[in-house]
Formats: sequence, structure tokens, C-alpha cells
Amino acid sequence: MTCKNPIGFETLVACWLREMPENSETALEEHLFGCAHCTERLEGVAALASGVRAVVMDGKVTMVVSAPFLDAMKQAGLSLREYRVQPGGSVNCTIATDDDAVISRLQAPLTGVERIDLVRVRSGVESELRVADVPFNVDAGEVLVVPSAAWLKAMPAFTMQMRLIAVGKAGEKQIGEYTFNHSPS
Amino acid sequence: MPQDSRFAALDDGALARRIAAAGAASPDSAAESELYRRLAPRVRLYGLRHLRDRDAAADLVQHVLLLTLETLRAGKLREPERIVSFVLGTSRMTVLEMRRGTWRRETLLETWGETAEAFEAPEPLALDPDRLARCLEQLNERERSVVVLSFFADKQADEVGAELSISAGNVRVIRHRALGRLRECMGAGEEEK
Repeated sequence: MTCKNPIGFETLVACWLREMPENSETALEEHLFGCAHCTERLEGVAALASGVRAVVMDGKVTMVVSAPFLDAMKQAGLSLREYRVQPGGSVNCTIATDDDAVISRLQAPLTGVERIDLVRVRSGVESELRVADVPFNVDAGEVLVVPSAAWLKAMPAFTMQMRLIAVGKAGEKQIGEYTFNHSPS
Repeated sequence: MPQDSRFAALDDGALARRIAAAGAASPDSAAESELYRRLAPRVRLYGLRHLRDRDAAADLVQHVLLLTLETLRAGKLREPERIVSFVLGTSRMTVLEMRRGTWRRETLLETWGETAEAFEAPEPLALDPDRLARCLEQLNERERSVVVLSFFADKQADEVGAELSISAGNVRVIRHRALGRLRECMGAGEEEK
């Protein structure tokens, strides 16, 4: 099963996401319907797409997300538990069996900020985890952290500290520290 | 479901001609099954792209391919070698009807009855979710955001760009790099780009 003019992977991705102009898409569809090789490769893109969807639905990854992404999670029918925390604040938190995800809403003054790094450190674990260049919402003044629900559900009680670091030409500045006291439900 | 070795040398058009030649009186079941097996993934992917619904895509596969076989058996397709164009055109029309809400699935199933169940489509490819999760964790946050916005939230590059305050072109570059890393991590290897 071969193809003399195989469609490039990036084009297949654009095709999957329906980003192509109509005339290009028509030509591509004609090729795909006549080509088992390119169909098999598009199948790979489809598998990646459904795999990513399943991983997010099952809460297998920790993410920092945008507000519209949160809307997409709600539209997908996920049950979300939310905690809003001010800089310097702390919250007692948990995840219930029927929760699909927990959203940590880290409030911070973000006007004029160019880049935000998120630092996470868990009680009993020496090393910090620094995540560079996370999405943030200036207007809402918040960073939305979604820890892996699968991981949270398996955890005993622990404390997690998160810090937001503004990174710019002038250097780094901490703009908020947040404490989450987790206990199993 | 592996390819039937008897038909390895036949292209889709030749297979369609064979089905048309056998007709409805003594249908060539093996050739019909082989054509169904070959075309089902193409129709299913078309359905998934346009309908974004697994069940609707499965309905589309069954409807389009039963209609195709019925048309071939009845000798109504003038040029069986153009079977692929027929299947694509029928897929397009059916998706339009599905979107308008005017499509009815019952008619063909009543005609084919249990015979339709004999046709099998290959199982869609599925990735190991735990491995994929580990691979996603290895991406940097921006790459991960682009990938999940694209494939979970089903957003195009310009929409992703608007959410992350970067250009659509930049999204495509990040997406390309991230998917390359994901595929490598998943063991897909480096194919042609």
C-alpha cells in the first residue's frame, strides 16, 4: 500500500481540523477516497485527536488552560469543582469521586505582564516544578490550573503551594503565592 | 480484519466491476465484503471530520456502503471503475442530509436486513491513553495548550491563536513541532512531513 503523492502530515492535520480552503479540501477528499495509504495516515491523525480528547476527559494530564478551554470542558459534559484563591491565600480542597476535574483559579494582578511562569511544590517533595510561559487571562486577572484528576483521586492528604512569577525584560517578580490543602473525599 | 488475498491484485474499480457483473441474483459476497472493508475507513473518517460524532459516522458508513453495493448489484452505476467518486459524492450528500435533519436510516436497513451485519469495517486505530498522557506531559505548556485546544476543544489555528494571543501562523508552527514530538514519543517514527 503506497502512494506516489502522499499528503504531508501537516496538511492531514489541517484537513482534520477543517482549516483548508474549500477547493483545496475538495481535491484532498478526492485523493483520500482513492488512496488507502493516505487514509491510513489520516487515521493516525484521527487516533491522536480522539486519544487527546480521551486523556483530557479522563483527567490524565495536568494543564494550565484558558477560559474558553474551560468552557469547552463544560460543553463536553465534564463535572468541574472550582477553587478561587487570592494571592497569599489558602484553601482546603478535595476531589469527589464524581468530579471529572478540579479547577484552581489563581487570582493575580496581570495588567502589563508579558509572561507568567507557574511554580508548584508539594509537601514532602523537595524539588519544585516550574512550568514556563503558561496561558493567563489579563481581563479576568487569573491563571487556571487543572491538576490531573486521576492523580488527585489517588493522592492522600497533602499541601501544594503554587507561585506565579511574572517574567519580563526587567527580570522576574513573584506576583502571587497560593496554598492548597488537599484531603481525599 | 485482514485483506482478502484473492483480491490483492484488484484495485477498487476492478472490485466494483466484479460486484456489478455478479449482480443481485447471485451476489459476489466475498468481493462485496472486501470493497466494504476497503472503503469503510475512508467514509468513516469523512463522517468524523464533518460530523464530529462517532455514532453518526458509523451510520454514515453503513448507509453509504449499503447504497453503493445496492447500486452496483442493480447495475445502476454506469462506470463501476469510478466507484470512489460515487462513494465520495454519496457521502457528501448524506452528510448534508444529516446536518439538515432530513436523513432517514431505516429504509436501507429494512432492505438489507441481517445481511448488512455480515459486512465488517476495520476497527479504528486507538492509542495507549497512559502512554499518550505521559507524552503530553513531556510537551512544554504552550505546546500542550495548542494540542489540547486543537484536538479537545476542536479549534482551528486562528481560534487557538486568539486564545493564546499568538498568530495563527505561530500556532501552526507550534502545533507541527508538538505533534512531531508526540508522534516520536508514541513511537510513530519520523515519516515524511
